Amino acid sequence: MSLTTHRVVFTGQTGAYFGIWIVNLLLTILTIGIYSAWAKVRTQRYFKQNLSIDGRSFDYHATGLQILIGRIIVVVALAAFSLLSAIPVMAVLLPVGLIFLVPWLLNRSLAFNARMTSFSGLRFGFEGSYWRAFRVYLLYPFLAIFTLYLAFPFVARAVRSHVVNGHRFGTARFRFESGIGPFYRAFLLAGLWAVGVGLVAVALLVALIGPIDPAALRGAGPDPRQVLLSLVPLAVLVVAVLPAGFIYQAFIRNAVFAGTVLEGGHAFVSDIAPLRLVWIGISNALAVVVSLGLLLPWARIRMAAYQAAHSHVIVNGDLDGFTAAEAARVGALGQAYTDLEGIDVGLPV
Amino acid sequence: MSGFPSDGLPGEGYGPETSRRYRARLVVEGGLARLIDETGTVLAEGPARHAARIAGGPSRAVLQGGWVFETRDHDALEAALGPARGDWLRRAETWHPRLAAVVAGCLIGVWLIWRYGLDLLVAAAIALTPPTLVAAIDRGNLAAIDRVLAKETALPEVQQAEIAALASAAPPPPHGPYRLMLRDMPMIGPNAFALPGGTVVLTDQFAQTFPDPDVIAAVLGHEIAHVSARHGLRQLYRSLSVYVLVALIAGDVGPVLENVLLEGNLLLSLAYSRAHEHEADALGIEIAARAGFDPAALIRFFEELDRITGAQGPAWRSTHPLSADRARAVRDLLGQGG
Repeated sequence: MSLTTHRVVFTGQTGAYFGIWIVNLLLTILTIGIYSAWAKVRTQRYFKQNLSIDGRSFDYHATGLQILIGRIIVVVALAAFSLLSAIPVMAVLLPVGLIFLVPWLLNRSLAFNARMTSFSGLRFGFEGSYWRAFRVYLLYPFLAIFTLYLAFPFVARAVRSHVVNGHRFGTARFRFESGIGPFYRAFLLAGLWAVGVGLVAVALLVALIGPIDPAALRGAGPDPRQVLLSLVPLAVLVVAVLPAGFIYQAFIRNAVFAGTVLEGGHAFVSDIAPLRLVWIGISNALAVVVSLGLLLPWARIRMAAYQAAHSHVIVNGDLDGFTAAEAARVGALGQAYTDLEGIDVGLPV
Repeated sequence: MSGFPSDGLPGEGYGPETSRRYRARLVVEGGLARLIDETGTVLAEGPARHAARIAGGPSRAVLQGGWVFETRDHDALEAALGPARGDWLRRAETWHPRLAAVVAGCLIGVWLIWRYGLDLLVAAAIALTPPTLVAAIDRGNLAAIDRVLAKETALPEVQQAEIAALASAAPPPPHGPYRLMLRDMPMIGPNAFALPGGTVVLTDQFAQTFPDPDVIAAVLGHEIAHVSARHGLRQLYRSLSVYVLVALIAGDVGPVLENVLLEGNLLLSLAYSRAHEHEADALGIEIAARAGFDPAALIRFFEELDRITGAQGPAWRSTHPLSADRARAVRDLLGQGG
């Protein structure tokens, strides 16, 4: 069969999304948060319907009511948790119980989002085992502490492996396999940036502000130097920590795409340029802050467009041959209510 | 049927349970739709529903058996199947100068929530809270205090009886009877505190440092006032409500603004807490006076406290107002100006 490379096309527009965003915000405020469930559906539908491969678009199928029910459960649980935490014994027992609930919640959340997403008229799915989630989200990160986080790339790879391998498109399974090299590269380069640029920034700022007299810091009056000094953590965050996060995200995304295949011989390519992503991410964050949030739709569309433009799918044959899974055929509707929405897993894939 | 081709509207058909895409036409006649592929085969037939679209997305008709027809010719599909349900939302979202009014509406809405909405949410949450749960919070905390921090009181009986008289002068308790407890707590020092269910604890160290019965009565009155006005639950629910509200709109304001909102809420909740302290001072001296004690003792107490603790940091970053301010406020309440 022949291989065809398809570009991922994003057609979202700032103006159109701004309208959706601001109406969402108004209705959410006026309904004291209740509309946020429907707001999520509209945002998801906008971004998914404006994303296509080979002229076939993605779509999002959850209803506001499904999401509202999930959120009510989460909010009631949160209120009960806060009240019960006021009892000293419970304050110890509850968090322990919650820890064991986390892997289950994360799996349900991934399953819900996968089941509610379709491409070319066919739904995705996710199945993950509880203990595997327990290992990758709780046990491995805990063990990594004892290696001074030097083994963290192994944890990162295990998480991606859990997420990707659990997903399927119809009956076709996703498979993820990757050496550890790309994960260490992401980890080390991001770390190098954070530490290197952070130190340079602090050194520059200290040179700029001049030597600090400790006695002046305790003085009552608002010393301009003291104000400058309080900006140092913010400056380090903007030039060192946030960019390191974007660098890490870019390398990991590229590695995950490269290591993923979809049953049937379909492959994925992501060629995000880390420094370009840093520029987009940082300028987005600054634009949002300076505009008091009004430029957020612009920032989101810009980021989505960049990511889509650097994503490709290498299709083996065509995209017509996928079929629905048996389980989805039987009871997708009945299952929906056992799924939980409300805990989003932030993964850069 | 303006704009609708007689030989069918061109577009794409997607079958149930597969990713297969058909080049297809939709023919609508007499309220019934037929989806026909390139070879002329009828893929689906029957009533069709026009699904609401979203900006930038295709127009869709949902047919029987899970078939979906997609086209970019929005007007033609609307002409054939009529407007989709819920399409008003898409029109409201269209890029247009009136969106400026929506932005203004958001600002007014935030103000309304902050001014009225939160109080409504808090009142609803308090009404829904089972009293047994509140009682359990008191029991659990008192048990823990007794195990770790406190010993039985070593105060003389007479002083204990004086203190008990206060409970009868207080407004009716919201969650069950007031229980005034004396505890010897060397690690806590001179202090008094209230639990939400009605338990008020005064340390022996307090009674030894401030032996004046009028001062003890005024301070206990203050703690009782916290209980009767449900300040503990109010603060818990208020901060929880703001947290949940911010989290719900966070998807729409982004992580940076979410942090700003949460930090702002922290400052506001401190202001809220200070307002509660003033409220409890006012109600507390009323309770003490009704029980036959001298309410002005609270002024003496705060002035003494101010002298002991010395200069305090700015009020805006504290849960409690400055002692000197509280003394002044009580003085104003009792009409002892200056």
